[in-house]
Amino acid sequence: MITSKLREAILCLRPGRVTLKYPFEPHDPEGDFRGYPELDADKCIGCGGCATVCPARAIMIQDIDQNTRRIVRFLERCIYCGRCADVCPEDAITMTKRFELSTDQGREDMVAECEVFMATCQRCGQCYKPPSALDKIMEPGFRDDKLKRGGDDSPYEPI
Amino acid sequence: MNAQQLGDSVKQQFGDKVVELSALGPNQLCLTITPDSLVSVAEYLNKDLGCRFVINSGTDRRRQRGKFLITHFFAHDEEKIYITLHTEVGEDQPEVDSITPSVPAANWSERETRDMVGVVPVGHPDPRRLVVADDWPEDVFPLRWDVPHDLKPPPAEGVAMPLLDPPEGASVVPIGPYFPVLEEPEYFRVFVEGEEVVGADYRGFYNHRGIEKLGSSALTYNQVPFIAERICGICGFVHSCSYCQAVERAAGIEVPPRGEYIRTIMLELERIHSHLLWLGIAGHIIGFDTILMQVWRMREPLMWLCERISGNRKTYGMNLVGGVRRDIEPEIHDDVRRVLTDIERQWQELYNAIPGDTTLMARLQGTGILPTEVARARGAVGPTARGSGLPIDVRVDHPYAAYDRLDVKKRVYDGCDNLARTLVRLDETLDSINIIRQALREMPEGEIMAQIDEEIPAGQQAVGSVEAPRGEVFHWVLTGPENRPERWRVRAPTYANLQSVPPMLQGDALADVPIDIGSIDPCFACTDRMEVVDVSSGQVRVYTQDELLNKKY
Ligand code: SF4
Ligand code: SF4
Repeated sequence: MITSKLREAILCLRPGRVTLKYPFEPHDPEGDFRGYPELDADKCIGCGGCATVCPARAIMIQDIDQNTRRIVRFLERCIYCGRCADVCPEDAITMTKRFELSTDQGREDMVAECEVFMATCQRCGQCYKPPSALDKIMEPGFRDDKLKRGGDDSPYEPI
Repeated sequence: MNAQQLGDSVKQQFGDKVVELSALGPNQLCLTITPDSLVSVAEYLNKDLGCRFVINSGTDRRRQRGKFLITHFFAHDEEKIYITLHTEVGEDQPEVDSITPSVPAANWSERETRDMVGVVPVGHPDPRRLVVADDWPEDVFPLRWDVPHDLKPPPAEGVAMPLLDPPEGASVVPIGPYFPVLEEPEYFRVFVEGEEVVGADYRGFYNHRGIEKLGSSALTYNQVPFIAERICGICGFVHSCSYCQAVERAAGIEVPPRGEYIRTIMLELERIHSHLLWLGIAGHIIGFDTILMQVWRMREPLMWLCERISGNRKTYGMNLVGGVRRDIEPEIHDDVRRVLTDIERQWQELYNAIPGDTTLMARLQGTGILPTEVARARGAVGPTARGSGLPIDVRVDHPYAAYDRLDVKKRVYDGCDNLARTLVRLDETLDSINIIRQALREMPEGEIMAQIDEEIPAGQQAVGSVEAPRGEVFHWVLTGPENRPERWRVRAPTYANLQSVPPMLQGDALADVPIDIGSIDPCFACTDRMEVVDVSSGQVRVYTQDELLNKKY
């Protein structure tokens, strides 16, 4: 009994103090951490690939008029899997190391929108970004996603 | 014996009761039998051939065949075969004979299938509902295809689960739904006479997330792994891995060898951190918090290592159908070895200290007895089974990933008590360290993800299983037409092990109950397929039956 308690005591004493001073001292994640996915609107061609693969349905593509496609990301739903960054043909999405994302500004603070200017295809009537990005569109693009913010027929909790 | 031969022997026994017989490779057998022969075939598999009952599943195939498909899964561990036993019942009379009277391990899953698909197991000894909320409408069965995945029936007042009555003269001690050492919501009604436990009843599934439904209605093949990973709050990788293996087998996709080694390494890293976590919690439950603090300190560098490899300390997000998304680069190998060596040294120190510690031993030794036969009958898996002398380990019995090329030992103890289950985990942690070292040495170069050019064909089915830290994780996938499974069935190890807890409690002192429950390393998140919820603290008080019924507390 005594020896076993001594052994346990040594086990405790040897490492010394290990607690980090976080959050008073920053503790940055290492390596290819998957944090906040940042979208560079200048690079985005609005192909919708990210919305198609997102397992959390955090990304919604809306065509607001003939020439404008809006990419809305509900980041409170995001599970930081990085699939959107994987499939983006333009590398418009990068997984950053940011993980301190709590907010006191309400859920709206977790919604990120960007608008991409698109041209309309003469044949099919769908949007694409000029000059000729059509060939880069690997995925069918549109997700008929009912993800609405509120609204009576929304299958989800109003966001 | 391979799957085909096993199938032939069943066919010989039952003749034209076997409607269809097919083997997927040497290790998976698929039988379709007539409904009237279900009980006898199940009994033959379970009793005569010694097959372990795994789970049961119901699939609504009214659109395709006008019928419900009821499937019982068995495992023949010695012969390394999974048996899928289908039977079809018409929609006009959605009833099937219950196999629970002869195969007791089927108890919960038959009730679950009734709740979810609405096929009644006739002759079931405990016909109470199991998984749906108390106020869920009687006539809505969530897994039927025509029930939308986001249906929200209105809440009802004044409904409650019919609870079992305690034996004459016994008092009831409720543990849960919120209880400080159990971390997740579940409710044990422990029946006591004085200090001694004489029986127990269980109510769980408080937070059913409907993940299986999502997988077959809203997600696509490659979205499911990320949701599967979130089935468990500790060992999620096992679920995504198991799911991907099922799809890969069904579609005939071959994972490149390097991908298999990476899966193996991640699985073993996960086992180490999960066993460390468990040991800490076990110490905490017993009231020995030094162990909690020290073991979790040891665990932390491993979590950071996983973060470096995968991008996150816990949810690795590495699995996709066909392989893994990230390589384990050679630069990081030395760091992996260094972290493992550190853990090994400290683990050894701890291992040497524990057996001499009389306080610890008094709580572990001779408590929570789960006799071998009971463990077998209740379908226990993982350390719970191996601590009761059952030599089953998926890594050896049904090898997957790279385990067929690595040295894996089955750690079996026949103490049948809490100590035996503890020792199994202590040994396995050291084994895992060695497995990772070997895998790092022998890992071949090459691709980590298979190229998938063709669509996954519909109507294929396969089983995927993984030895999770808590036991066998079992996934079954029936592929569907819209780039998603038609049916995805999940059985987490705690689902099997929890059914062994009530017999474990019998005859123990009340003070042993938390560690008894804790000794199976319960993961209610997996069992309920719900979110891990932090609990507010609660206290155990003894209530009389009357107080309980009148809610005077
Ligand atoms: S990181 Fe994953 S969950 Fe988040 S937006 Fe991208 S794909 Fe969706
Ligand atoms: S995948 Fe990339 S280019 Fe396509 S819509 Fe998303 S961010 Fe834009």
